[in-house]
Amino acid sequence: MPVLTLSKQVLASIDVTVCVLPSQAKHSEHHEGRHYSIPLEEVKAVFPHGLPSRFQQQIKTFNEACLMVRKPALELFTYLKSSNFAHPAVRYVIYGEKGTGKTMTLCHVVHYCARQGWLVLHIPDAHLWVKNCKELMKSSYKEERLDQPLQASVWLKNFKASNERFLKEIKTQKTYVWGKQESTEEGRPLGEVVEQGLARTRNASDAVGVVLKELKQQCQRGSFRLLVAVDGVNALWGRTTLKREDKSPVSPGELTLVYNLRKLMMNNWNGGAIVTTLSQTGSLFKPRSAYLPQELLGKVSHGLPPPSFTMGNRNPGWGTASGHGGRVCFSLSSHNIL
Amino acid sequence: RPPSPLVRCRLTQVRWSRYNPSFIEPEVNKELYQKPWEELSEEEKKKLELKAVQPIKAAPPSLSSSVFSDPMVSKFTNMMMKGGNKVLARSLMSQTLEAIKRKQLEKYHKAPEDEKETIECNPYVIFHQALKNCQPIIGLSSITKGGKTYQVPVPLKDNRKRFLAMKWLITECRENKNRRMLMPEKLSLELLQAFNNEGPIIKKKHMLHKMAEANRAYAHFRWW
Repeated sequence: MPVLTLSKQVLASIDVTVCVLPSQAKHSEHHEGRHYSIPLEEVKAVFPHGLPSRFQQQIKTFNEACLMVRKPALELFTYLKSSNFAHPAVRYVIYGEKGTGKTMTLCHVVHYCARQGWLVLHIPDAHLWVKNCKELMKSSYKEERLDQPLQASVWLKNFKASNERFLKEIKTQKTYVWGKQESTEEGRPLGEVVEQGLARTRNASDAVGVVLKELKQQCQRGSFRLLVAVDGVNALWGRTTLKREDKSPVSPGELTLVYNLRKLMMNNWNGGAIVTTLSQTGSLFKPRSAYLPQELLGKVSHGLPPPSFTMGNRNPGWGTASGHGGRVCFSLSSHNIL
Repeated sequence: RPPSPLVRCRLTQVRWSRYNPSFIEPEVNKELYQKPWEELSEEEKKKLELKAVQPIKAAPPSLSSSVFSDPMVSKFTNMMMKGGNKVLARSLMSQTLEAIKRKQLEKYHKAPEDEKETIECNPYVIFHQALKNCQPIIGLSSITKGGKTYQVPVPLKDNRKRFLAMKWLITECRENKNRRMLMPEKLSLELLQAFNNEGPIIKKKHMLHKMAEANRAYAHFRWW
């Protein structure tokens, strides 16, 4: 979001004019540039943790949540509408310079999919999982891995708030043993796994892993659509600032949360889509001027199409919604701000 | 006789240079230039004619003809500035105005319909009114007579009143705040309180008035 420059005329007037647009599914090119407002109850339900802090401040001040309809979001909607869910999930990457609206575009897509009835797996900022961890414990499941109870429990709480009805409908397909006396049998609703993770923070990261695995397996049956929305996906393949007790550095693959999320990022499942954002803002050991996928993702971005700066420059050969496991890039430049 | 080397380098110093008295101040008011010749008054016509002949001083960078520039706000920003860091002072000022606007908007949205019109949301209006409320009318001056110094009540000039109001506001915000509270937040709080005629700065003004009232007896010591 560009920084609000308050002018005298703007300050003198009180209200923000808002166009009341038809329901979101019917947003199309001629709605580009106009604002649509999300009712505040929906904001609390769909975005317990997704919106950037400056936008939350705006919601508090003006008593309304107004999002602008922009081209990259509209393009993503056409792709999602016409995607074939029998094919592997397509991975979309939104990149751009600082302050161009990547997180807001992601939130727009999340809201759209939530309205359509998809199950939304929203990780607000993957960078928070690889830095500033106060409690790092050895994982009880695998010896080499490390658990992050605090981050995992926070995420589980927010996930529960946004996807209540799915947690009651989806059933586990395996028995999971948490400790000597606690276990979740096969066929119990997924909500119980989440409760278990919230009740015992020791098992929170493993609960997250179980949830991700179950959702990935069951999505392929087709009873629900899964949207994986990750903000700051370059954190999963970068470096961490965390250290073990013997001061040796930890790589992201050794963290349970990151390991399980990376499995979801592979395109070996179908029935949904993966929309991600690259972000330099919270990233570690990356210069401020880096914003291209090659710069931020490094080796993982091999095979990504070359970045296009204008929306018209898309090669029809790669990564359309018919998904050959393709990855589609969207660039957001300051020209796209209307 | 050529000037000595020391004098030569002094002549090129810009910082302490003084304009020749014939130089005229620059006129920034756009409306004056847009008026047709017939509507101008006699003095304005004379001034314009003089401009064609006499040299004009360079305009300082803080002087602007924009609608958004406010001389009071610029003066306040300059007083807040420390160590020449105008960028920081200006950003603090704009954050203060933003904070005032946000607080007033929240109040506006929560208020019932009939009270909505009374709530002032324009931060510039609030800033001007708050400073006006903080200005003292009468001040004290130390006059030595017969070996003793007396605090004599004295009328204050406009410039001095404005300066005192701004100085009190800034010192109050710098000293009496929580360690973790930032300047824009504290300033916006003080400005809103001063707008409603409450708060520590209004109290200070009243104290000054009371002292002047108490020292009324010495008023005849003033000779100007």
